[in-house]
Amino acid sequence: MDGQLLVSGVIFGFSLASIYFLISIGLSLCFGLMRIISLDQLLYYSFGAYITYTVTTITGSFWLGVLCGVIVGGLLAFFVERAIFRRIYERELTFSMITSFGVLLGGIGLIKFIWGVVPRPVKTPFTDQIVLIGTEIPAYRLLVILIAGLVYLGIWLFLNKTIIGKAIRAGIEDMNHVEGLGINVTRLFTITFVLAASLSALGGALYAPLIIVDPSMGLEVLAFAFMVVIIGGLGSIKGTLISAIIVGQVVSIGSLIYAPLAIMAPFAMMLVILLIKPTGLFGSKLTK
Amino acid sequence: MLDTWRWWRGILIAFGLVAISRLFIPLPFLNEVLIFSIYTIGCNFLLGKVGFISFGQPAYLAIGAYGTAFYLFYFGTNPYIGILVGLASGLIFSTLVAPMFVRLRSDYFALVNLALAVIIFYMMQKVFAGITKGDNGLWFLASIASTPLLDLTKPSDFFTFSLLVAIALWAFYKYIDGTIFGACCLATKINETKLQFLGYSNFRIRLIAFVIANTSTALAGSLYAVYLGSVSPEITSPARTADPVVVTILGGVGSLFGPLVGTIAYTGLRDVISKLIGNWEFFIGAILVIIMLTNSSGLYGSAEALLKKLVNKLKSQAEKQVLK
Amino acid sequence: MNNPTTLEVIGLNAAYGESKVLFDINIKLHPNEIVACVGRNGSGKTTLLKTISGFLHPSSGEIKSIDHDLIGLRPYQIAQSGVKYVPQDKKVFSDLTVRENLELGSYANNDYNWDPVFDYFPKLKILIDRKAGFLSGGERQMLMIGRAILGAPEVLLIDEPTEGLAPSIVTHLRHVFTDLSKKASLIIVEQNLPLVCAISNRVYAIREGHVVAELSTRDEINPNNCEQYL
Repeated sequence: MDGQLLVSGVIFGFSLASIYFLISIGLSLCFGLMRIISLDQLLYYSFGAYITYTVTTITGSFWLGVLCGVIVGGLLAFFVERAIFRRIYERELTFSMITSFGVLLGGIGLIKFIWGVVPRPVKTPFTDQIVLIGTEIPAYRLLVILIAGLVYLGIWLFLNKTIIGKAIRAGIEDMNHVEGLGINVTRLFTITFVLAASLSALGGALYAPLIIVDPSMGLEVLAFAFMVVIIGGLGSIKGTLISAIIVGQVVSIGSLIYAPLAIMAPFAMMLVILLIKPTGLFGSKLTK
Repeated sequence: MLDTWRWWRGILIAFGLVAISRLFIPLPFLNEVLIFSIYTIGCNFLLGKVGFISFGQPAYLAIGAYGTAFYLFYFGTNPYIGILVGLASGLIFSTLVAPMFVRLRSDYFALVNLALAVIIFYMMQKVFAGITKGDNGLWFLASIASTPLLDLTKPSDFFTFSLLVAIALWAFYKYIDGTIFGACCLATKINETKLQFLGYSNFRIRLIAFVIANTSTALAGSLYAVYLGSVSPEITSPARTADPVVVTILGGVGSLFGPLVGTIAYTGLRDVISKLIGNWEFFIGAILVIIMLTNSSGLYGSAEALLKKLVNKLKSQAEKQVLK
Repeated sequence: MNNPTTLEVIGLNAAYGESKVLFDINIKLHPNEIVACVGRNGSGKTTLLKTISGFLHPSSGEIKSIDHDLIGLRPYQIAQSGVKYVPQDKKVFSDLTVRENLELGSYANNDYNWDPVFDYFPKLKILIDRKAGFLSGGERQMLMIGRAILGAPEVLLIDEPTEGLAPSIVTHLRHVFTDLSKKASLIIVEQNLPLVCAISNRVYAIREGHVVAELSTRDEINPNNCEQYL
């Protein structure tokens, strides 16, 4: 294979991985701590993209758009958490799956209402190319990879160096025990949920210039996001990162070899891993 | 004699009503309702009786539809055989994937099925575009033969056929409900460990239930294929995964007639709402959330409960009269 | 004589779903008292503590601390109000260090003074940076109790603290509990009769979800006497 093609394929794979990571980390966190499947994370992802579009169109600043996208995504999640999820934390997984699916659907309707069904193009903030190992790489993609790396670092610092982060790690182990210490778990859940949504929104905002922003974008990515999360194992941050990288590379390099492979390979991987380890590579078991 | 009547009573009344409504409700709507409810009853059974939600029912719908389509496009013209081919495809496919899927936890199960639906979408759209003609789809309406007795190319005959199929299917599901297998399904949903102690294999029960549910879903696919005379990948696009889930919840999980009532409501509302508000998803999403939050048993479940209350009230009143 | 009660349980009934576990339980706890609840496995002792600390909703009855009702409060609210639950099974957060475990306790109660903890358990100071998952059973128990005394709680609900521990550690805990009772009240659920009989002011015997006896004099409180009620 052409060396240049391979290099750009690998970079492309990492940028894909970055977006997958940002979307999937929210799903993984919500499951790990609160034992819910939050399909509505894909809604905050979509809102991240759409708000970026609107703000960019009005102000001309892409990065202001991204910031607003993240804030709006987080705000939206805050209200959804308080109005809906707060009532259903104790229920079984199927319950949160169906409910969050309803939120996702309703949210898509909201998007259609506000922005219509016609795709909204978001321009890449800069179209410069950087030469890396003799290959021309779009600088924007490199930036996306950098941002995702910083986000991972930020999450690591948060979970390991702040008290709330430690409480979350403890909660992933045993939520009842955390509550028994006297820690306000209601607030902890809200914080985690909003954090997850902000990351999903960031993923959507950064991805917006690279894809078609239309109302069903959330549904289209849903299956992929979950393939990543399942392979890595629900509830593991490290697992999600590794899985995102693997899937990103497989999709990218795979599509260079044979286009349909890009879709089928992650699926096949997921099935194989589930056969060997039904909870995913680093997944945690469902012990309450 | 009385017992047989009692057993069949609900099914005959329900579908009798459907048959009668033929007089004043347009045929296309009724045909769609019949096929769609057959599509949904599998999902309903899986969720209500076994406790598994699947976000990937369109996958099995597509298997059945494309099975029938391939037969009618490439091989033959008899729609009945086409339907059988679709049904068989569904049966074989479900049996193949069942061992892998059924051992998963409920959330993984739902999402793996979702992934399956997306995969099949891409396969039919791109990978096998040579034989599936990709997005254009397979068109074979013209090549369906007119069969004696019930000519499936005629909507009215198709309606009669679907009605009979539906009655048979409902009878089948009702029968299962009353068997030990049916009880086991419920038990596996409520308390796996206990069932294991009783000597049953949760895995095997789930496996059989999975195959039954998805084969009937494939049957719906075959019916769609014959009815529409064409099949395209769109039936299993990501947007379509919502349909069976919504209808199941709307109609009432676990009830026999939930799928029927849910489908009528869903299809009817969709046409009305789309014309009035145009924002179908918001409405459906909101309804789904409300139903889940209020723990409602759906349209049919609530109606059934209300009806029971009414009947009991009337009964006790009648008893009071007798005692006087 | 009006003996103020730190905690009072009145007519408590509790069930797990359909199966009833506690029947009409009445228990009183006075300031600076050590009260023991003894009973066989499955008699409902743990359920009682879980209900008081808010992890299980009772079907009827009252639970009162000095100034308010505990029923209906969330477990973290009950813990913050000064009633701390130390569960069975030596649960600590394995992935966090001893220091981080204590930090969580401090954060929850706004008490960053670890001196009392190290006074009771100097070993924790040595193990401060070890991951809790690598602690022995005794060390975990010390960590749990050390964590629970942060915030100077009024009531400690301790569930089977000496289970599986070496005699030297049990003796150590005995002194700790006795000393703790100078500042707080303790309800200790135990199967180790000699220990609780030695340090308790009163003993409730629980059998099949009922309080079958309350032993309050020094003569009554001895292992043989307890046994006959079980």
